[in-house]
Amino acid sequence: MMRDGFEAIINALACVFIAYMLISLFYLYVAVGESFSQVAAAMLDSRVLGALTISVSSAFLVGGLAVAVGVPVAYFMAFKEFRGKETLEILLVDMPQTFPPVTEGLVYLLMLGRFGFAYTFAAVIIAKFYVSAPFTLSFLTRGYRQIRSAGYDIVARSLGAETRHLLNWVMLPISARDLLAGFSLTWARAMGELAATLIFAGAIPWRTEIIPTLVYLTARDAPAIAMAASVIAETLSIGALLSFRWIAGGRKWLT
Amino acid sequence: MAHLRVEQLVKSYGGKRVIDNLSLSVNPQETMVVMGPSGCGKTTLLLLILGALNPDEGNIIVNDRTLNDLPIERREIAYVPQDFALFPHLTVYGNIAFGLRVRKYEEAEKHKVVDSLLEAVDLGGLSERKPSELSGGQKQRVALARALAICPSLLLLDEPLSNVDEATKADVRKNLKETLAKMKVTTLCVAHDPEDAFSLGDRVAIIHNGRVVQCDTPSRLLEAPKDSVVRRLIAPMYVLSKDASRISASEDA
Repeated sequence: MMRDGFEAIINALACVFIAYMLISLFYLYVAVGESFSQVAAAMLDSRVLGALTISVSSAFLVGGLAVAVGVPVAYFMAFKEFRGKETLEILLVDMPQTFPPVTEGLVYLLMLGRFGFAYTFAAVIIAKFYVSAPFTLSFLTRGYRQIRSAGYDIVARSLGAETRHLLNWVMLPISARDLLAGFSLTWARAMGELAATLIFAGAIPWRTEIIPTLVYLTARDAPAIAMAASVIAETLSIGALLSFRWIAGGRKWLT
Repeated sequence: MAHLRVEQLVKSYGGKRVIDNLSLSVNPQETMVVMGPSGCGKTTLLLLILGALNPDEGNIIVNDRTLNDLPIERREIAYVPQDFALFPHLTVYGNIAFGLRVRKYEEAEKHKVVDSLLEAVDLGGLSERKPSELSGGQKQRVALARALAICPSLLLLDEPLSNVDEATKADVRKNLKETLAKMKVTTLCVAHDPEDAFSLGDRVAIIHNGRVVQCDTPSRLLEAPKDSVVRRLIAPMYVLSKDASRISASEDA
């Protein structure tokens, strides 16, 4: 039952926005359905399989690296007090998410191209890492700050725990949900990254061509390939995000 | 057992002196309760002694050893915070055994220590429960057992009864007092409730404006409060002790 007219407007706006987002998300499947036989054939195309392999493997590598680097950096940001800490956090977490990815690709091309990194698989990792890793860092830093404000670190230390005990036996288990959430968003962002990777790594099939660059390059001249690549990537992303959420949902130690 | 000496301790926040030349001495095996209104620096004092905060000036000395430059994990001082901070992902057993695990105790030895501590705090049979399944009083006892498991030289308790519901508070207070007496560990406890302070402490130190105003046994504090600040803080105890005398007199009659 609607309380009043204002609530009716809010509900209507929410429904319009939700419909827009869901249509944008699922229209691809409608389009694929209309050209199903061509798209199905294109799914076995070598370039599609190559782009999928590079995309998925690089996304998982970036996610793993983000966790490996994110844990010590988040510990540092959560526990160390120093001047300029807030500014540093903006530069590490917020900036990479708002910095134009195409500019970031150019920066890496200028900075690392001279050392032979350009147009390599390593370039794919480097480009994706910059835009995706901040998600993991953000979640972990928040989780560690909650641990600090709950006093778990002080109690653990009072029981004799050194930093490795604190990290492995207290912080990582308690913040597992934050770690999974950060990893899943990092993975998803890495899967969708285009501009920086295109500039710094190019689009060499089976080496640096990823799903987004394949879609960009084939959307006009070979739409079946673009659709095949897109539907595989979208299905993988939805499935992965839902799985990560389901896995993380079971750990409710920190509200 | 440890003898704690705090000498001329100073700690400021944002230009304001929270601890202002505070000196205190706790004898071996004694339970000293620090009492004062909210914001008077009680928890700050505990954190300074623990090593979680660094003093601006002054010394913290345990058994003639100055601890100022030692990190928390090397001070052998156990701490029970106000909200107990039980590790939520570990069972009662895992929480109590945490310090033993750090010290690389064998499994059998860990079980022995944990089981005896659970009996001592009257929580036998709850070792597999998670903290979320415990009451406030049970959490307090698990946190105490966890602290005692490492045989600390000094035990710090921050408002140990403030998160215990009123219905069970008297029992929890009695259990806490008995456990401290049994374990014979030098204890510094913080409380704002005079009834808690007077029932737990061998001596009570009244803090006001970051300094110790008076430090004495509960009975001497009642007989000879130094000034109006002390009188105001311990006033409820006069009412309680009058009620106790009246009840006792009517029972004799």
